[in-house]
Amino acid sequence: MADQTYFEDVSVGDPIPVLSVTVDQTQLFFYSAATYNGHRIHYDKTWATEVEGYPDILVHGPLQGALLARAVTDWAGPGGRLVSYAFQNRSSAFAGEELRFTGTVTGKHDDGDRGLVDLEIRAEKGAAELLMPGTATVSLPRHG
Amino acid sequence: MTEDVSLIPEAARARIGTETGRAQGRVVRQEFQRWAAAVKDRNPLYFDADFARSQGYRDVVMPPLYITAVTAGVADLDALRPDGIPGAGPGDVPLPHTPRVMGGGESFQFHQPVYDGDVLTSVRVIENIEEKHGRSGPFVLVTSRTTYTRQDGTTVAEAVTRTIARP
Repeated sequence: MADQTYFEDVSVGDPIPVLSVTVDQTQLFFYSAATYNGHRIHYDKTWATEVEGYPDILVHGPLQGALLARAVTDWAGPGGRLVSYAFQNRSSAFAGEELRFTGTVTGKHDDGDRGLVDLEIRAEKGAAELLMPGTATVSLPRHG
Repeated sequence: MTEDVSLIPEAARARIGTETGRAQGRVVRQEFQRWAAAVKDRNPLYFDADFARSQGYRDVVMPPLYITAVTAGVADLDALRPDGIPGAGPGDVPLPHTPRVMGGGESFQFHQPVYDGDVLTSVRVIENIEEKHGRSGPFVLVTSRTTYTRQDGTTVAEAVTRTIARP
């Protein structure tokens, strides 16, 4: 886990560090189990490829969303709080593909003894193919 | 707009604006930690109670995006669709012409931290069902809004979920 990010130290235009993840079949299965998800496109390769016509089993949209949120909360640090969070699934991701999760600070607002930071966030794969665009607002502490 | 054959049956269209799901679930530390482990998110706020208290929480915190799993139901395995999804379709909306279902995106507002032992009630309302045309042809977009309320009546989070259903 990264160190704490403080509101005063953040500037519009700052990037957040890229989280790079390759999700394998085992992780997909554990995510299906943890969410009580029986959808076969996430664990049954024969079903995914022969019946639904995908190249491989699919990474769950909400798992991509959770990984993108992890990129944000890792950057914010433990004193940060996710206030709002949105993403759209634009394209599918498959087991074994390298996925990248990152974002950029787009705004700052005072919020009492803390501050709110707006981010544009995105998940990509391959040569910058956009998987998910999104937005997040994080509440950050101030120094002292 | 001309549509030879609508992908959205009347029975589905009639669900727009109606409550299609109300469910309750207890938040269990071990279950949300399993979820965090499946995301490979080892945030100490979710795993280390002393650390979480040092950050002003009263216990380990539930990962905010886990909330959609808290009130998941119990499936009847003899009544699954062939693809393993329980019920009629996304949000229990019957869409027989568009069986291939995937997540389209989600939008959340988080109002309060949630802890082990909290009992949440989720109420889902279908906001819209639309036929769209994308790069890979026509699809149906189902938009639903879910409100999550704690046992003391406080709304802890709200979510808007978009599900894509393709022919």
